[in-house]
Amino acid sequence: MDTAGSEIILSIREVTKSFPGVRALNGVSIDVRRGMVHGVVGENGAGKSTLMKILSGVYKKDTGTIVFDGKTIDHTTPYESMHRGLAIIYQELNLVNSMSVGENIFLGRFKEMKGMRGTHAKARELLDSIGCKVSTTKLVSELSVSTKQMVEISKALSFQSKLIIMDEPSTSLTGEEMSLLVKIIHQLKAQGISIIYISHKLEEIFDFCDVVTVMRDGNVIDTKPRGEFTRDELITKMVGRTIENEYPERSRQVGETLMEVKGINTRKLHDVSFTLRKGEILGLVGLVGAGRTETVRAIFGADRVRGHKVTIGGKPVTIHNPKQAKDAGLGLIPEDRKLQGLVLPFSVEQNISMASIDRFTRFGFLIKSLEKGIGARHVKSLGIKTPNTKVAIKNLSGGNQQKCIVGRWMEIGPSIFIMDEPTKGIDVGAKYEIYLLMKEIAEKGGAVILISSELPEVLNMSNRVLTIYDGRITGEFDPEHIPADVIMRAALGLGGAS
Amino acid sequence: MNKVGFILKDYLVLLMILGLALVTAIIQPKFMSPANLNNIMRQFGPLILVALGMTFVIVGGFIDLSVAGTINLVAVVTITLIDPLGQVGALVAGLVIGSICGAINAGLILTSGATTQAEALFITFGMSTVYSSLALIYSGGSTFHFWDLKEMPNMFEAIGAGSVGPLSVSFVIFLGALALLWIFHTKMAAGRAISLTGGNKTAARLSGVPIERSIVLIYTIAGFMAALGAIVLFSRVTTASPVIGAGFETNAILAVVVGGTTLKGGKGSVLRTVMGVLLVILLNNCLNLLGVSSYMQWAARGAILVFAIWLDNRKEVQGNQL
Amino acid sequence: MNNLYRLFTQQKAIVAIAVILLVMVAAGGDVSRIFFSSYNLLDMLDSSTILVILGLGVTLTVIAGGCDLSIGGILVVSGILSIQLQNFMPMPLALVLAVLFGTLVGFFNGFLVVQQKTEPFIITLGVGLLLTGVAQQLSDAHPVPANNPDFMNISNGYQFGDGQFTEGHFPGIPNLVIIMLICFVFFAWLIRYTSFGRNLYAIGGDYDVARYSGINVVANKWMTLVISGTMAALGGVLLSSKLNTGSAIYGDFTALVVNCGVVVGGTSFAGGVGGIWQSVLGLLLFGLLDNAMNVLNIPSWYQMMLKGTVIVAILWMDSYTQKRKRELV
Repeated sequence: MDTAGSEIILSIREVTKSFPGVRALNGVSIDVRRGMVHGVVGENGAGKSTLMKILSGVYKKDTGTIVFDGKTIDHTTPYESMHRGLAIIYQELNLVNSMSVGENIFLGRFKEMKGMRGTHAKARELLDSIGCKVSTTKLVSELSVSTKQMVEISKALSFQSKLIIMDEPSTSLTGEEMSLLVKIIHQLKAQGISIIYISHKLEEIFDFCDVVTVMRDGNVIDTKPRGEFTRDELITKMVGRTIENEYPERSRQVGETLMEVKGINTRKLHDVSFTLRKGEILGLVGLVGAGRTETVRAIFGADRVRGHKVTIGGKPVTIHNPKQAKDAGLGLIPEDRKLQGLVLPFSVEQNISMASIDRFTRFGFLIKSLEKGIGARHVKSLGIKTPNTKVAIKNLSGGNQQKCIVGRWMEIGPSIFIMDEPTKGIDVGAKYEIYLLMKEIAEKGGAVILISSELPEVLNMSNRVLTIYDGRITGEFDPEHIPADVIMRAALGLGGAS
Repeated sequence: MNKVGFILKDYLVLLMILGLALVTAIIQPKFMSPANLNNIMRQFGPLILVALGMTFVIVGGFIDLSVAGTINLVAVVTITLIDPLGQVGALVAGLVIGSICGAINAGLILTSGATTQAEALFITFGMSTVYSSLALIYSGGSTFHFWDLKEMPNMFEAIGAGSVGPLSVSFVIFLGALALLWIFHTKMAAGRAISLTGGNKTAARLSGVPIERSIVLIYTIAGFMAALGAIVLFSRVTTASPVIGAGFETNAILAVVVGGTTLKGGKGSVLRTVMGVLLVILLNNCLNLLGVSSYMQWAARGAILVFAIWLDNRKEVQGNQL
Repeated sequence: MNNLYRLFTQQKAIVAIAVILLVMVAAGGDVSRIFFSSYNLLDMLDSSTILVILGLGVTLTVIAGGCDLSIGGILVVSGILSIQLQNFMPMPLALVLAVLFGTLVGFFNGFLVVQQKTEPFIITLGVGLLLTGVAQQLSDAHPVPANNPDFMNISNGYQFGDGQFTEGHFPGIPNLVIIMLICFVFFAWLIRYTSFGRNLYAIGGDYDVARYSGINVVANKWMTLVISGTMAALGGVLLSSKLNTGSAIYGDFTALVVNCGVVVGGTSFAGGVGGIWQSVLGLLLFGLLDNAMNVLNIPSWYQMMLKGTVIVAILWMDSYTQKRKRELV
């Protein structure tokens, strides 16, 4: 495959992008050529989706240049981007579920297409061109994911796209549907359309990508024609890093079984079972959407899930809601602190005390002095930076807000502490403090279930790691002695040794 | 500079109405007369009681448009129960009925899985009709008077017109209710649970705060207070008609919003509502003295409600600009 | 069983209408005869028309994800204005101004809801209340009689006939019904065949996707409120013409009934679904209900209670079916 010959359709140079507390892209440079399928691989948080969102106009880059089809692009909107010929098909799919296929393809262009008849006629043409047989009047909500993707591809084609970005398209596809997609990709390629293909499935990358770029921690590690990569090399480049003293030493006092979970079954999860031991930090590793959060929410009673069994300390417990979870000794730091964790207009003190109201209530009355004590205690022990405990929590930085949520649960002193992305958007210093905290909890005889998109974090903090792929537990590893590549493989659903 | 602007907005409506009072005092010296001030104090009774109940619903993140219907129903039923059950029995029955109306509202909202204020708005609006029609059916459309009863109900008369020392009985009832509700809201766990439910329902749930119980509480309190308001109301005018509650829901919501409690829920207080009611009464009083027709007063209240909601919205939008 | 459940929740209006018709057939005797007489059916159609006219505008707002509770207030003010303005100017001008009043209010609503991003439910309610007060002021809380036979004829005149209900004689179609039909056709066309109409479905279905596709969400949503206000005013004028008086009392309940009727028919408050046919069906249901209750001689307060119960039941169902769709707690 001669890649050097074709012209460059998209040139990304030294693009950086930072969010508060986090540097998502660190001077990224990639060239995409016409008519090529350009694969992009990287683990969670590598920067892939941030880069794509900048390309499609959802985010604005901080520095760097992007040249598409000969024109420099500075700030764009999704709409302009599409009209320029750069289309993106997201994992979440950008379609209006309550409308028909035809209308979705030409959303907002009703007049242009001369009404319903023109819309459906042209939609039919586009769908036929990629071999999709679905009726244009069918509602999108009734379609399978595979068909929805075809609708999105048709939409991209309707704009005469020159570059189509596909973000993890194969996640929900069956083998047969995947073959169809591959066929279409080849078709598009033949028409001179370039494709950026983001995926974790290495077979796909090796199957039909011409060039591959590996990203990690907001950097481009390498870009080479597919043939010049080996599988191992790819994985190593995805995960490899020098481990500095970012993390405290692991605690090693792992004892007997503390909790057993058997048979969680939901739409997403399939027969998830595992045990948790005293004194251990158990990491859940998996791709976004693999089912980690669903698992912990099911255990915590946050979602309406029934049928699974949970035993704690040998005794079966019923957990159908968060209150029962609390009583059983569980605590949860939720994934999205703004939406699920903080009561923004309330004070630091009230946010910290809200899970332990029983502790400072006598005969139904709140004892303010006790509440104050709780607030002060955790502000001190967690080093929360706030002028006093009465200020509204919305005024604190992200890291300190997170500490408040931690403090909220520390007050209860759960024996099982579930932390879902506890260090997201937090500066390095605060992160370390939270790591120490986790260790302390484990050493005192409790246990922590840790979910994090940062692989190094999970691998370095956990005593044991479970990998979840597509709603199933695919492996159990000791991160201290098993190389990260192996664990990553399991998380990618590849399983076993290379 | 921004901070000053922020504070100003918080008290904008307060300033506006105080300004109006000032203007009225100048134009109409009658405004400051003891008779007028006494009149103002007298008006406190029914509306403030209803508004105090409404405060809880709004702080909890919901809304209740059924209070008018509840008032109608409680008024006619209570007065007709005085003869068979005795005064105390009728009083208790009235309060119970109001509470049940509220509990029914909560039940409907919980079982339907409604989580938004909008859904609650429609359901309680519908229930208002149901309760009002029940009042009409029960009473046969007639108005009941104290003098139709076997003997004059002295307890109710006292509630309506009696005094305890320098204060009117209704004012004392108001003070008592205010104290109890304030203590409940700020000093009791159940009250805190209500505030948390309104502040962030998801976070509260995940922290084990009893959400469902809080929702039942807020509507039951609203129903109870509406009943109490109805009793004070008909005691005042010594008659109970099945349409006696008309317009109370708007005035109550207006009082709460004008007082500074945000419709988004979480933050707010009964004390603020007291101020809000005072402002609404003051507003009505001033407009009366200035010769504005009662209909334009209705329109003025509507306008202020719209303005206050808009202002409340702006505050939230700006305040959450993180 | 599952299919029956689906039918019941999605086609609530059709099922309810079927039930009522069955009841009327079962009632037998005089009741059935009166109910199914041409006079009654036409009367039913007649009384539903105002609701339908209002509903057409409201449907647009609900499809786009909002609602309009100020229609009651607009209805009464415009109705009163249409009569009172005739004292100062020729009738056509008075009517135009009365309708434009609704347009103006709609514009104001749009500003508050779309530009200022205020919660539509509560703020349109506030505006409605404001206007009810204004209406009472204008009318001094008495019904305002109209003196102009031409005015009365607008709604009450008959086309294709002379309005006489005699044996074997076709009475013709009331003007009001014709106007309603014209509006109905216009809106049905608007919602299905214009980009404006289709864009509303997108906006209500998924606001962000619509925005990313370049649809001017702000302008479109604003427009729905302007149209809704205008239609409410039109309804007010026609109602005043029909009854030959303008009164402030019709406002309160109307907003609720119309918004509810729209939901019953299948245009859910969630947005992005439903349409003109569905809304009309839902509103006809209420008209049918009223009429049936009258023919069955149900006393008026019981009618009120029944109607209130039906409304609560419908809203409850709407929330319940939405809840089932949202799986998370």
